[in-house]
Amino acid sequence: MAGIRIENVRKSYGAVTVLRDFNLDIADGEFVVFVGPSGCGKSTMLKILAGLEEASGGRVLIGERDVTDLAPGDRDIAMVFQNYALYPHLTVARNMGFGLKMRGMDRGEIDRRVSEAAKILAVDHLLDRRPKELSGGQRQRVALGRAIVREPQAFLMDEPLSNLDAKLRVHMRAEISALHKRLGVTTIYVTHDQIEAMTMADRIVIMRDGEIQQIADPDTMFARPENLFVAGFIGSPGMNFLLGNVTADERGARVSLFGQDVCLPVPLAAVPGIAGRPVILGLRPEHIGPAHGPVSFAVRPRLVESLGSEKYIYVDLPHENRGAPADAKGADDERRGDALIARLVDAGAVATGEPITLSFDPARLHVFDAETHRAIR
Amino acid sequence: MSTQSIPAQPLAARAPGRRRRFGLDLARPSRRHWLGYLLLAPAVLLIALIIVYPLFISLDLSFQNVGIARLDQPRRPFTLANYERLFTSAEFWMACWVTFKLLVIVTGACFVLGLATALLVNNRFRGRSIARLFVALPWAVPEVIAVIIFAWIFDSSFGLMNWLFITLGLTSQTINWFSDPDAAFAVVAITMIWKGYPFVSIMALAGLQSIPEDFYNAAKVDGANAWQRFTNITIPTLMPVLGVTIVLVMLWVFRDFSIIYVLTGGGPLKATQTLSIMTYEQAFGFFKMGYASAVGIVTLVLCVLASLLMVGRRAEAMY
Repeated sequence: MAGIRIENVRKSYGAVTVLRDFNLDIADGEFVVFVGPSGCGKSTMLKILAGLEEASGGRVLIGERDVTDLAPGDRDIAMVFQNYALYPHLTVARNMGFGLKMRGMDRGEIDRRVSEAAKILAVDHLLDRRPKELSGGQRQRVALGRAIVREPQAFLMDEPLSNLDAKLRVHMRAEISALHKRLGVTTIYVTHDQIEAMTMADRIVIMRDGEIQQIADPDTMFARPENLFVAGFIGSPGMNFLLGNVTADERGARVSLFGQDVCLPVPLAAVPGIAGRPVILGLRPEHIGPAHGPVSFAVRPRLVESLGSEKYIYVDLPHENRGAPADAKGADDERRGDALIARLVDAGAVATGEPITLSFDPARLHVFDAETHRAIR
Repeated sequence: MSTQSIPAQPLAARAPGRRRRFGLDLARPSRRHWLGYLLLAPAVLLIALIIVYPLFISLDLSFQNVGIARLDQPRRPFTLANYERLFTSAEFWMACWVTFKLLVIVTGACFVLGLATALLVNNRFRGRSIARLFVALPWAVPEVIAVIIFAWIFDSSFGLMNWLFITLGLTSQTINWFSDPDAAFAVVAITMIWKGYPFVSIMALAGLQSIPEDFYNAAKVDGANAWQRFTNITIPTLMPVLGVTIVLVMLWVFRDFSIIYVLTGGGPLKATQTLSIMTYEQAFGFFKMGYASAVGIVTLVLCVLASLLMVGRRAEAMY
């Protein structure tokens, strides 16, 4: 096991740059998730780490050893692929032992390691089958098994759960986390699913257009997003964005939201910089309550979705608060900038078109610069 | 009649049952397979007429002592004489041996050349499309034209090959390619390989392109070198395609007639007489159609056995 250091790694195909100065220090045994929308460069970075792609610049160190120009097989890493990449002509046992065989390990040791890994992953009864006779979940386990038997310095996982159905995905997510805790091997996991990132990671690296947006643990990522993109990407449903013009007085910065004067949670020092300018305010759906609170407003829901334990209430935004940039949303969120979603737990009966009072605490507001999209704190 | 008024009615007003005017509603789920049989029928009838029927005729002929076969003549008495004569004739065993040699050499060389060229043009390089075209070109050339080209190349007095051999100093005098048994066999084999390898190449290329890139990536991460990737991934994943392709090439070598007949006519000294040439010679050279049918039937049995042996379990679906 070893830590991994990525220094100024760049990648471009001709004039197209897919990865800009990528710097990251991964501690020994850490579980790091690269997350971002399609085309953000996360898979490219993983392939560079694996040695399957050449970096245009920068260095990669695994356990203080410079592996930038080493062949994939010499880096002592194991990789799990999105489509599992199990060899169809080999049995499960021989698939799992393939990497060891290629390294010239003797038969007995291969068998011992394969059966040990198979027991850990509960596939020991499938060892004589071929991949086509396995279910999706079983194939996934075998692919993990193939990585485990190698006992590598690090695991690289490229969207390993995206071919599974929703229920199995949740299950395997927990299994991979448990496996990581048990083995303690440094793991880099690539996904476009922020829920996978939040649930599994020790640290998340959010990427967009080849650039790192923020590196933080899941709770920090959720509570203190650095910019509008991170704020919109993390959380489901995504954060609501409202546009407001700042007026400043001696008590602080204020904007008008739902026709009410709301004091923004920004330090006094930051107030002069934003006075008289528009800002984007972020409010998470779960921070909106169903009763009177510090800031209450009466609305008629445009749409009510019930998930049983909770309800999503869609509310029209007042015209003055509309117009937050569309690219602030996460990649998979196609909402227009004219609605706000409230996520209410145990809200009782709420009907579309019937008046309801909602409230929020201004301290929960995230404030972003409307031009730079950076958080103002 | 009530049916006459139906076209005038709006569609929605028609009774659902009325559409079965012809008594055969093939759109009904329970009858959908009828349509399949109906569409297959012409092809099945045609095959029965031009393949199955002649096959039975020739099977029947092989058990009769027939010179020129005529359908309007009464059937001759049943006899095993053709087969007895066949299995005791040196000519037959010679033809078997020539066919076998050709089968092994041509199939083997087509396999190696076809796979090698497929691997070559599967890589990304400038001019790949042109290279693919050239690899596939011999397949598109009609057999007789290919044979004429090769007959010229190997011509003993003004052929390219003799010129090349003499220029390179490999021989001091011209080789008479078509009068020496070994040389004639070599010429036939080379022509067949040239004509046959593109088929393997095309099939292998299609197979290669269906191998997921991640198989190779996974193997690279597992530390497999290029040769290990070739033997452990490329070859096994191509096997279903290659197995069937080899069978097809084998059957082609078995039955190919025009290349050998135009190049050497089976000579010299029957050195290039395969079973199919022998069948032709006996039937239309010596007009011993009963005997020729026996040769044909034995060839058919050999073909079936060889195919079964090769297809076997290899062609099983892998994914």
